[in-house]
Amino acid sequence: MFTEASLHLTLRVDGPSVRTVLVRSSRMVQAARLFAGKQPVEVLQLLPAVFSLCGSAQALTGLAAMEKAAAIAASPAQKAARNLLLLAESVSEHGLTIARDWPLLAGAAPSLDHAKRLRHALAGLRKALYPDGDWLHLGGGQLAPDTDAIASIITQCRDTLTQLVGNDLDEVVQPIAFQAWLQRETNPLLALVTSRCWQGLGASAAFMPMPERGPPDLSARLQTDREGIYLARPDCAGRVFETGPLAHWYWHPLLTDLTDRFGTGLMTRLAARLVLLAESLREMAEHAHDLRAEPAAPLPRLDGHGLALTEAARGMLAHRVVLKEGLVGEYQILAPTEWNFHPEGPLVRMLTGAPADQDLELRARLLVHAMDPCVTCTIEVE
Amino acid sequence: MCMAVPSKVVAVDGQMATVEAFGQTRQTSLLMIDEPVSVGDYLVLGAGGNFAAEKVSEETALAAIDYLSQVLADGLA
Repeated sequence: MFTEASLHLTLRVDGPSVRTVLVRSSRMVQAARLFAGKQPVEVLQLLPAVFSLCGSAQALTGLAAMEKAAAIAASPAQKAARNLLLLAESVSEHGLTIARDWPLLAGAAPSLDHAKRLRHALAGLRKALYPDGDWLHLGGGQLAPDTDAIASIITQCRDTLTQLVGNDLDEVVQPIAFQAWLQRETNPLLALVTSRCWQGLGASAAFMPMPERGPPDLSARLQTDREGIYLARPDCAGRVFETGPLAHWYWHPLLTDLTDRFGTGLMTRLAARLVLLAESLREMAEHAHDLRAEPAAPLPRLDGHGLALTEAARGMLAHRVVLKEGLVGEYQILAPTEWNFHPEGPLVRMLTGAPADQDLELRARLLVHAMDPCVTCTIEVE
Repeated sequence: MCMAVPSKVVAVDGQMATVEAFGQTRQTSLLMIDEPVSVGDYLVLGAGGNFAAEKVSEETALAAIDYLSQVLADGLA
């Protein structure tokens, strides 16, 4: 029987606080090894099919790794098109979270209509860029951007998100406007966090954001990781970085303001989702200007090794591939969840020593949500 | 990994579907799916399986199931 991968968190309480936090993961971190022996094209077709939440990011990171291995440089227009697809996936995922999961966490009804409209709008983007459907062609597919359709998609996303948060998103992510919005907006989750004074939940833990270009030893560690130990529990000289919206956007004025007041706690992390949405929409509009029609690139000889990193919805995603005589020789995938839910990682740091009162499980659930695993995560208090 | 098993629709009842994958059946909501869903279609479910995330072609679904069967056979799941 095939069991869906999941995370399980055990909080061991000793007296007034959480003494130990254990993370058990059934995530299939070595499954990509089975890509060995397949044609690169076959792997590129499989990637979006088997990854449910981040199919575009997985496929485009795989494509970039293979292009590096084969020394192919995609054109600026192809890169713009791919960035649009990556950002669209982030917008869809985080929009869905705010529409569906935020209300549910606070015991309110989800705004499924908004989530559905967002997905519906973004569903047309691949076709508006690559009408032949060859968006995963090595070197770049037949790019024929329908600029009107793309502009309309971005506008529809912006309008839907504005309706969802009850305010223009670019305004909400300004520090003063954010406070005003918090006071008048009745977002159930943010109201819960504010009323319980949980803005700084988890803020006493050390904040170690992922370096912009990934850990400096990433390539060497992946290359020597024969047993998959690094893939399951990555670190960098003993440090376990955090990756995701806050780690990527911590320097944003709203997030520095909230960090000054509440530290890198729950409110700052929830606000980072809004920042990511606003910035992603802005970047999407910028990339749309760099699009040009281009024919598909000829297929080159495929030999070599490549490592590619992308900022996926939940943080840094890494793919490493070795191509030998046109076939995949080795394949590894390191996903953000392995950093964020590492047994010595940011979530564990935030929960260790937390007060063990009657709200512990709910507070733990909110922090798990803030760290955003890509699989289900159950929580047990012992 | 956030791998998803494409699940085959075995029954539809309004906005809910019963789906099957690797011998397991479960209920999932179709609220997030825009296109019509019928018995025999394949769906990719979101994390936890409460909501169907996407409808996929039979060819794509069977290729993914074949790969995931290998993952299972090799003890990587």
